[in-house]
Amino acid sequence: MSKEEVRLFIGPQHPGVTGNMSVEVLLKGDTITWAKTHIGYLHRGFEKLMERRIYIKSFPLVCRICVPEPDTNEENFARGLEELAGIEIPERAKWIRTLVLELSRLQMFIMWYGGIAGSMGLSTPVQWGIGDRDYILDLFEELTGGRIYHIYIMPGGVRKDLPEGFEERVLKLMDIIEQRLPEYDEIIMENAVVQKRLKGLAKIPRDWVDEMGITGPVARACGFPYDVRKDHPYEAYPYLDFDVITEDGCDAWAMLLVRRREIDLSINLIRQIIEKMPKGEFLARLPNVLYWKIPPGETYVKSEATRGEFGYYMVSDGSDKPRRVHVNGPSFVHGITLLERLLVGQNIADVAPIMVSLQTCPPEMER
Amino acid sequence: MEILDKLKEKFEILQSQEKREDLALVGTTEKDLIPLLVYLKEYEGYKTLVMISCVDWIEEGKFELVYNLWNPSKKHNILVKTKIPREAPKFQTIYKIWPQAEAYEREIHEMFGVDFEGNPTQHEELILEDWDDIPPMRRDFDTLKYSMEKFGEREPKSGIIIRKQISEQYDEWRRK
Amino acid sequence: MGKDKNYFLNEKPEKMTYGGVFRKINDWARARSLWVVAYGTGCGSIELRPTFTSRFDAERLGMRMVGTPRQADVLIISGYLTVKTLKRVIRVYEQMQSPKYVVALGACPINGGMYYDSYNAINRLDLYLPVDVWITGCMPRPEAILAGFKRLQELIDSGKADGWKKYIENLDWYRENQRKIIKNWRMPNYNW
Repeated sequence: MSKEEVRLFIGPQHPGVTGNMSVEVLLKGDTITWAKTHIGYLHRGFEKLMERRIYIKSFPLVCRICVPEPDTNEENFARGLEELAGIEIPERAKWIRTLVLELSRLQMFIMWYGGIAGSMGLSTPVQWGIGDRDYILDLFEELTGGRIYHIYIMPGGVRKDLPEGFEERVLKLMDIIEQRLPEYDEIIMENAVVQKRLKGLAKIPRDWVDEMGITGPVARACGFPYDVRKDHPYEAYPYLDFDVITEDGCDAWAMLLVRRREIDLSINLIRQIIEKMPKGEFLARLPNVLYWKIPPGETYVKSEATRGEFGYYMVSDGSDKPRRVHVNGPSFVHGITLLERLLVGQNIADVAPIMVSLQTCPPEMER
Repeated sequence: MEILDKLKEKFEILQSQEKREDLALVGTTEKDLIPLLVYLKEYEGYKTLVMISCVDWIEEGKFELVYNLWNPSKKHNILVKTKIPREAPKFQTIYKIWPQAEAYEREIHEMFGVDFEGNPTQHEELILEDWDDIPPMRRDFDTLKYSMEKFGEREPKSGIIIRKQISEQYDEWRRK
Repeated sequence: MGKDKNYFLNEKPEKMTYGGVFRKINDWARARSLWVVAYGTGCGSIELRPTFTSRFDAERLGMRMVGTPRQADVLIISGYLTVKTLKRVIRVYEQMQSPKYVVALGACPINGGMYYDSYNAINRLDLYLPVDVWITGCMPRPEAILAGFKRLQELIDSGKADGWKKYIENLDWYRENQRKIIKNWRMPNYNW
């Protein structure tokens, strides 16, 4: 640190950072010369707590690893457990899980779409985004009983069947959201401030993607068609018809375009799921989960969250509690390795849009 | 699986298994691990390091390091594992091969106490602050006992929550 | 900033005293413009967004988010607190201007909730900060948060929300508890 530089902490109490984390930067004038991410403000030791609990008791824990999108965690943990225990789940359960995953992806993207505008000081899209997301939360409440944490996906399938008329209500909501989206586009995409600020911001060199393990919309904005739904299909995704969305810009504007098109894709997928969903059982027969011993083994399961590839490495030693569960969220790489390198040379005002573009989610970095 | 056969020819493989179509598992010795990772990266297209994990096998007295690699063109994951002694655990860093390994090694150093030789930032605190006990993810660390000692009992033993009013507690404290 | 002596007070601050009709007018006004620090300390902050935006619209009750603690009246502890965050929360709380109120969301600040055995999450919040209103649930719905704020307004109206006075009176007790878990105490003492 030279005499001309100023050390500044952005966060944890700062409206611009994405959640309870902080970035320490050195400033020369208005330009960042060095950055370091500080995490650990939300560390609850989930991996340690899971080692002390039987498998079924871990389900309320795993959904709290990522607050805005809990279903990815539940699904991953349940799928890993099924693989270790050798359980086949019914066909309908797979489709219901996929529906829940896509609904949760959609609500996250809509909130994000408002949030990226909010990070540049436009407050109307924030109000719209969170307001429209609430309609999806209402559907979740009807389906699972909870607005945010659902604990709906469990080993062997899902907790309950869909309520009567649920499909029609989902389809109706999709129509409403689809009608609303052009209004969003008008005030976000066509806004000169957004275009000026995001085009060329946070330019990622292409060779970083494979080397650093960048995944999700950030990798897709650099032209790499990495999507776990397509690459390693899970649940009902092999039966769905879709293309991986890519853009070529490598910058924050391309990330915005990818996520905007992801909203359309999610709506499309939800319509497909409801059209093709089979009838039948929704929960496989399980042994008594309170005395459930899992045979020794290990596995790595992954799925596509809104931010990128979400993976669970699970080791069982033959007892009724896991030996080790390692949760690997995409934000670990995006928020520490990538963010520290991307911020160098940027302006102080662009820290918030960059963090929102990378969609760093602190609870999944530190668990 | 052809990749496993290729590895068996070149390196000392202690354990190998094909878990799924897109997941294989290889156990190797401490000495062979980094050459194997470099081989997978340079010649077999496993370009991406997905994560590094650590498992505590306290009964054997070993830590197991797990390196998870991904092949973007073949869409295949491979878990490369090795066991290191639990007493004074140390290993070599791979942050020069993959930059994100630096943060993962920092986390493992903090949570398990494994020393990665050559990692420049591993002694900095990543998650915990002012930690005063053995690394928390080790199996012999009792988190309930630590929590009770440090943060107090959760609720009175009788089972019914009869919490003293805070004002009573102030008075009690003053009398002391 | 002036001299350091004025900024970092080492002595206890004076208790603010006012009474009679001024107290009533002050409390009436305060209860109707509660500004909340925008600090999401835990997972409960995800439900604060719907509460403060268009659907549940807490702004009609005079509540809004502000970025800086120096303009805020209410600190929301949204869920569990880790040791690292507790240190920042104490600092934020002490930067706020009196009178100030603390609202705790969820089961975790009451008795640790599901993190009762976690090595990094505190079990009881009221050992470290004075809490005026507890809102239970995991996580509390926006309606519950609004009901909790209604209760806080009633308490302020009747002059019972005096956690900040208790904090000043019993500062040594709180400090002793705080120092028990924050091992490396590198914090300035702010004047209130």
